[in-house]
Amino acid sequence: MRDYSLIYLNGVRKEVRGREALLMLADWLRKEEGLTGTKIVCAEGDCGACTVLRAFPQIDNNPLQFEAINSCIATVAQMDGSHLLTVEGIQNGQELSPVQKAMRECHGSQCGYCTPGFVMALTGALEKHQSLDKKTACNYLTGNLCRCTGYQPIIEAAITAKQSEEHSVSKRYLTKDTVADLSHHQKESLLIKSGLITFFAPVTLQEAVQFASENPGFKVLGAATDMGVQTNKGKPLPKHLLSLHLISELYEVRKEDTRISVGARVTLAQLRRAVEKTNPEFAVFLNLFASPQIKNAATLVGNIANASPIGDTLPFLLVSHGKVHVASIEKGSVQKREIAFSELFLDYKKLALKPSEIITHVSFDETCQDQILKIYKVSQRKDLDISTVSGAFLLKTSLQGKDKKIEEARLAYGGVAATPVRLPEAEKALQGKVLDSKLIHEVSELIGKIISPQTDLRGSQTYRKVLAMNLFKKYGREVLHG
Amino acid sequence: MGDGLKGLPPIASDPHDSSFSHVTGRSEYVDDRPLLKRELICGLVYSPYARANLKSTDFTQALQVPGVVEVVTAKDVVTNTWGTIFQDQPVLASTEVHYAGEVIAVLGAETPEALRMGLAQVKVEWEKLPAILSVDEAVSKKSFIGEERSIARGDVVEALKNSPKRLSGCLKIQGADHFYLESQAAVVYPKEEGQLEVHSSTQHPTETQHVVAKACGVPFKDVVCIAKRLGGGFGGKESQAAPIAAFAALMAKKTGRPARLALSKDDDMVITGKRNPFQISYDVGFNSEGKILAFDAKLFSDGGAYADLSTSIMERAMLHSDNAYFIPHMRVCGQVCRTNYHPHTAFRGFGGPKGVALIESVLEDVARETGKDALDIRKLNCYKPGEDITHYGQKVENNLLPGLFEKLETDSEYRSRREEINSWNQKAIETGGNPRGLSLTAVKFGISFTTRFLNQGNALVIIHTDGSVQVSTGAVEMGQGVNSRIASIVAEEFGLPLSSIRMMPTSTEKNANTSPTAASSGTDINGAAAQKACLEIKKRLAALALKLKDTSKELWPSKTAGLGTAPEIELGKEIETSLTQVAFENCQVMLRDKSFQLKFSDLVREAYLNRISLSEYGHYRIPDLGFDKLKGKGRAFLYYTQGVAASEVELDRDTGEVKVRRVDILMDLGRPINYGLDVGQVTGGFIQGMGWVTTENLVYNQDGFLLSHSPSTYKIPSIQDTPRIFNANLVHNEGNTVNVKSTKAVGEPPLLLCLSVWTAIRDAVMSYQGNKVIPMAIPATSERILRALTPEEFLET
Repeated sequence: MRDYSLIYLNGVRKEVRGREALLMLADWLRKEEGLTGTKIVCAEGDCGACTVLRAFPQIDNNPLQFEAINSCIATVAQMDGSHLLTVEGIQNGQELSPVQKAMRECHGSQCGYCTPGFVMALTGALEKHQSLDKKTACNYLTGNLCRCTGYQPIIEAAITAKQSEEHSVSKRYLTKDTVADLSHHQKESLLIKSGLITFFAPVTLQEAVQFASENPGFKVLGAATDMGVQTNKGKPLPKHLLSLHLISELYEVRKEDTRISVGARVTLAQLRRAVEKTNPEFAVFLNLFASPQIKNAATLVGNIANASPIGDTLPFLLVSHGKVHVASIEKGSVQKREIAFSELFLDYKKLALKPSEIITHVSFDETCQDQILKIYKVSQRKDLDISTVSGAFLLKTSLQGKDKKIEEARLAYGGVAATPVRLPEAEKALQGKVLDSKLIHEVSELIGKIISPQTDLRGSQTYRKVLAMNLFKKYGREVLHG
Repeated sequence: MGDGLKGLPPIASDPHDSSFSHVTGRSEYVDDRPLLKRELICGLVYSPYARANLKSTDFTQALQVPGVVEVVTAKDVVTNTWGTIFQDQPVLASTEVHYAGEVIAVLGAETPEALRMGLAQVKVEWEKLPAILSVDEAVSKKSFIGEERSIARGDVVEALKNSPKRLSGCLKIQGADHFYLESQAAVVYPKEEGQLEVHSSTQHPTETQHVVAKACGVPFKDVVCIAKRLGGGFGGKESQAAPIAAFAALMAKKTGRPARLALSKDDDMVITGKRNPFQISYDVGFNSEGKILAFDAKLFSDGGAYADLSTSIMERAMLHSDNAYFIPHMRVCGQVCRTNYHPHTAFRGFGGPKGVALIESVLEDVARETGKDALDIRKLNCYKPGEDITHYGQKVENNLLPGLFEKLETDSEYRSRREEINSWNQKAIETGGNPRGLSLTAVKFGISFTTRFLNQGNALVIIHTDGSVQVSTGAVEMGQGVNSRIASIVAEEFGLPLSSIRMMPTSTEKNANTSPTAASSGTDINGAAAQKACLEIKKRLAALALKLKDTSKELWPSKTAGLGTAPEIELGKEIETSLTQVAFENCQVMLRDKSFQLKFSDLVREAYLNRISLSEYGHYRIPDLGFDKLKGKGRAFLYYTQGVAASEVELDRDTGEVKVRRVDILMDLGRPINYGLDVGQVTGGFIQGMGWVTTENLVYNQDGFLLSHSPSTYKIPSIQDTPRIFNANLVHNEGNTVNVKSTKAVGEPPLLLCLSVWTAIRDAVMSYQGNKVIPMAIPATSERILRALTPEEFLET
């Protein structure tokens, strides 16, 4: 059993133990390592000033590459097995990297506070592409806020910078020996204690569920994109933290027949790559989901386990026969069961899980040719914003006959109730009918009657109601007119 | 091409002077300073209620937490009032709080963990009191800050009566958070004999020095305030950085230990004031051509709980309610309201954006009422020869506005796009598509502080004996590039490369009695002061060069000064005229007739050995200002920075979401010193303003506590929100000779062009609604847009 988190930081091997291991990565970099180039602004993963690069051999990105993550909302312990790069590590000797050079020459920095984050996000992007067009560059920079430049000079820098062999940080840092050292350590369980807090990362599911049953009130630490935020905002870390990052089977996306099964450690970035063919609508939707930094760390299971009524993936999973697969220990052996999404959400932030159960997988249907699925999200700002209302609508129509009767309809919303919901009454009103503008209107009126959303700082009750109705109308129009 | 306006010739575009350290992460900000041993980390205890009595406080348990060291309260503050204009705000509240976020105590601890636990153990008993949480309430209770002011010309009442057409309406404008990336921060080191060294993220080191000194009860001489660079300011650190530094200083003074206070974004947003919200009612008279004949407006602003800069902000709003347009009979009245929100404060544009929003919006309405295109209405009313005196009596000189309108109309293909949008919208109405809008607005921004005494700057220029130069000024570098521009001015004066110039941290021990870096004036006043200092040194160096020319080399100071084998060279009267004969170029100092030259660094060395001062302190005051605030008349500004922008938007008719399709900006920035820096200010200011008018929504609970206090709920524009097409260009204007190097200030003016996005949204909404006049508050949030597009769906049942 290891008592340290093993990381490489800008090429230097570090064993991080105890109190330091349970610090947020950004705090550790700034205060303990003196690497103050990494900035903390929002401490909630919304601004990207803390962006660092992470290469993690467990994640399936062949070849192994550096990807951007937010360092303000992840503990050092969770970084176990990673090679981390900060802005201090990307220069090649005295020479600026292509990104640094372009950012400097294109006036990409003004006050400079967001600059290291942008430099790192772009450095990550150039590891994957030799050069960037405007659209690609913007997609890689969705998670970075700048208040000075209006982004134009940064966009110019992004499309000016060209990657070269000698500046590839993967080539420089991801040496065979380093990767072997990191991978080798992933075969041994990890236990870190600091004060009252225990962080445990076992290599088998059996040990994980054992720990869960022995430590009531335990929390599974996924990417901590939510728990990290709460910790930064004053809520202490839970006493018993369980990380599943050493259980290799949980990194898989499998297709079984028409079902897709996603392990608890699969990141949203990995998921998007995996479902491009089976669930293209969902894959496209994942582009709008959060920032690259969040997607490179956060998991689908985490989005579900967080149980928020506005979790962005939930409406899709509700209309795609989503199920969660949970495990617990009973009489010394691992017990598994499934919970359908329709049964999963009990109340605001409350799931139908027993206290000692952990989610190991989530599964959902492949999207078929005869299904018309669309996913919508409305938020005050288009990207990297929490939705006011989201919706997923799926119609299955008979392929025979020219009037195309609706065989099955599934409508799901987030943000209109304490939990994400399906609307059986509205679904029934569609069944067996032919979609036309009259029906769209009737069903949207019905939706307005069924739901009773709340007013909060993202929108009034009435606005949410109108949005819910309009999203269905938009869907209807898109189905009718393509 | 209107009025023969031309694009800019090639202009230097050197990278920002901190760009190397920015991109490598080596730029040091306040909280990047290494923690010293025994340094304390401070946290704040503040009110959750808009107004409350402080019945009791108990720090006993907090102080028992291991690692918690000390607490500072009002009792520790020597002079517990401060305020930039009115001294009406306590540094730390003692008996009653007047806004949610008002600070009552500072806790100091050895670690962040101890601080967090300590803060959780502070016991405060509050007694909630009735609070004023709207402008309407403040007006009805006559809760005001300062007197009502008025600026008027002509007989507005009579002119309104006689106008063939009239319109009246109301406009609501919300505030906005500065969202500088670096939150407020200060580190204070206690020094011998009660001295305090303050490192602060402040736009106003002098005021910060003064507030710290008074709070700690020490003379100004014993406080040095240093601001190396800011991670953004935008006005938010003009006045409100001072109490933050005072909190840390009080802790340092009480404990004798270094103390650091770096606010979290959440605390920063809750505690600090925002752009002032405004509520405006107006009455406008015009003829059937759309010519404005009379305009009467009453402006109320929400000043928050304390005066801060709100009265000055109101004044600038009143001075900008004409914007680019001549209005023969005009009256603007302004009154700041005292409410129970955080004290609202300066934000890029000061009051300007509110005044300009008003008149630009009114012009859109006039266009609807007369059935004309809004651009034609604007061109008709634009300041032009014969109609070039503002309502406060200042002549608009070097006026490029008519040409700017013409040129952008052409460059942005305004007319053909208007046609396309008209037919697009017709189709959208028929088929349920998304409406589009197009609008072209202007800015004429007055440059100078409206408070005359602030229009002074000072600079210290030091040449070292190797020929390299250090420059210190009162200007604070916060990203805008003021240091780069001043370095360019100094480099050009001495004929040296930029690499020979080092801009030093702004510090009150080198530059005292400075004005805030605000009002877009940083380069104007400090750059001019630096230039004056350079000229004085150059006179001496040039005079010496003239003497050296006629002195045999063996007798030069470098050959004789050590042993004293020759008399020193006396410069004499030639100092006054020396510059006419001598030029400084390419690291050389040469006689203009080419008869003699030597290296700059050699001359500097000779000067030192000849006991000639190589340093100079320059002081500059903006000439010819004469604005009488009580009369509301006079020359308020040295000059105007002008520009125009055309924005096109598309609204999602199902969700109210806005997509900005295209923006074209054209500005007159005189003769820029650095093209890249200036254009960066233009695009940056525009997008920052765009956030204010679209997605940035400040939401408070019923206790007046800000709910949207972090970027998860407060949405500034992201890279995806930027216009699909975004052109920002400058015109060539050598005519602004009243300012240093014929430049024009750029910091604030482009922000006001963002209003074209808001008026384009209005254009789309009104076009969708059959060209009825439909009001729209700022920000035009998705919800507000959807309500305006489909009001029938929002009828409450």
